[in-house]
Amino acid sequence: MLRRVLCFAFLIALLAVSQVGYAAKAATSLQTNEQAGKRLLAVIKTAGASTAPGREQLTQIRWANHIDAVTGAGRLRIVIDATGPVQAAGSLEAATTPRLVVNVKGAVPGQTDCDLTLDGRIADSVTMKADDGKNTVIVVDMPLLADEDGYKVFTLPQDPANKKPFRVVIDINQPFPPIKFNFTPGLKGKTIVIDPGHGGSDPGAIGLSGLQEKAVNLAVSLRVKALLDKAGAKVLMTRQDDRDVFGPNASAVDELKARASVANFKKADIFVSIHANAATNRDADGTTTYYFQKTRYDSLLARNLQAGMVQAVGLKDKGFLTANFYVIKRTIMPAALVELAFLSNPAEEKLLANPQIQQKMAEGIVQGMERFFAQAAKGGEQ
Amino acid sequence: MPRRGKIFALLLAVLIVIFAAGCEPEQAVTGQPPQVSPAEKQPSPPAAEKTMQVTVYFATKDAMYLVPETRTVPKSDKPIEAAVAELLGEPKNAALVRALPAGTKLKGITVKDHIAYVDFNDKLVKGHGGSAGEILAVGAIVNTVTEFADIYKVQIMVEGKKVATLYGHLDTSEPLSRSEKIVKKTL
Repeated sequence: MLRRVLCFAFLIALLAVSQVGYAAKAATSLQTNEQAGKRLLAVIKTAGASTAPGREQLTQIRWANHIDAVTGAGRLRIVIDATGPVQAAGSLEAATTPRLVVNVKGAVPGQTDCDLTLDGRIADSVTMKADDGKNTVIVVDMPLLADEDGYKVFTLPQDPANKKPFRVVIDINQPFPPIKFNFTPGLKGKTIVIDPGHGGSDPGAIGLSGLQEKAVNLAVSLRVKALLDKAGAKVLMTRQDDRDVFGPNASAVDELKARASVANFKKADIFVSIHANAATNRDADGTTTYYFQKTRYDSLLARNLQAGMVQAVGLKDKGFLTANFYVIKRTIMPAALVELAFLSNPAEEKLLANPQIQQKMAEGIVQGMERFFAQAAKGGEQ
Repeated sequence: MPRRGKIFALLLAVLIVIFAAGCEPEQAVTGQPPQVSPAEKQPSPPAAEKTMQVTVYFATKDAMYLVPETRTVPKSDKPIEAAVAELLGEPKNAALVRALPAGTKLKGITVKDHIAYVDFNDKLVKGHGGSAGEILAVGAIVNTVTEFADIYKVQIMVEGKKVATLYGHLDTSEPLSRSEKIVKKTL
């Protein structure tokens, strides 16, 4: 009987401990992903190997790619377990092949050598070698050199609540592809793709009075086209009327791919998608521009479009923000997605339906484009 | 009655031993315990058995940020489902609004390789939302579910199928990790 009671109490206690784990987790949300490496890819040491005093061992290495749910920023996290506290520091090397070299002081690999093959998204492979018999050199080979401020090497202490040992963590952010753009000032001769969001079977957001986003997007887009035509730009529209770009009732991805493809096939200079915003709260208002920083120019484009619209129309400036949006991520050239105003806000819905305001919005967008080309010609933000 | 008392005493003893052992395995009781969570500070075993804390995310009224709300809910052997159930409810803070469309229901959650596949009914994608609404919905789901230590990524599903996008902007075609940029800790 006593044994049964003990057994029960032990189970309850275990449950309680796991609960504390959750609570601690909630307190430091980032720590959730400190254990990010999801797959155990290499066991460096076999269990039970003895550790000499003062010399710790690196026992396990794991890795995972992470995509930020909102910004879409890619990050590789490599986590290496250690039997005790260690020091770690990294440095980038561009010579011969791009690599990140991490020196771990005070620990040797549990096994003599360790090679790990990754998926090549941010890194191709990780090799680990003993150095001086008491330290370890970890080399992360990558297809594209990480940015100087685009990586982090740090250690994490033991975390008994989550059953985590001492850890060395290597975070590497996805770098930009080295695509060269040679921008010249002015709109004349530029190939600009305008993408009126939604359309056809997809109405997009719908205002309280029934105004459909697809109609607003097209109306403003056609006004942008007219202004750009006048300025001598070559304008390509992903749609010129109320239709699906890929085809009626196509899958959402085919539809979005088709829009990005228009710009990619035509080697456009810039891609601008025009939308109207919506949120569950009808009070939300203002103008926003989104970008995905895949070239050195995306944020510059977004910033200028946002400034142009805020200046021309004067709605609340919600800023230019990063977002994991399909069309601006999959286009090769600098791209931005503008959210003119909130269709879900009754006052802004009226503005969006007003042809004069639509014209002002279009003028703001075109001014933003012109300023973008002027600044990009000078080398952009870099 | 005396027997029940004995059970509680034993339970408490085991709890204390395990907490002490869990915090400092090598230094026994003298070591400084690491950060003590509120639940741990006042151990009332009966309450600890019956409730748990979950953290869920709601939207600010300007549709710019997500703010965490911690809830104490009845203990469940399906804690992620319990957290998502809270996410589908209304926020306690009057300055916040729900991030998911009304009528959204959870159909099920499966976990494989630290990725949670969270399946909702189609109300999730029929909210006629814009970019802001989509960002808040995806961010709230992913951040709420990755509050659990074992979940690193979330794949959003609708009616049993992966969805490539909710409202036609965000790319939700692959498992996503939590976003700290959208989180505002205090209002």
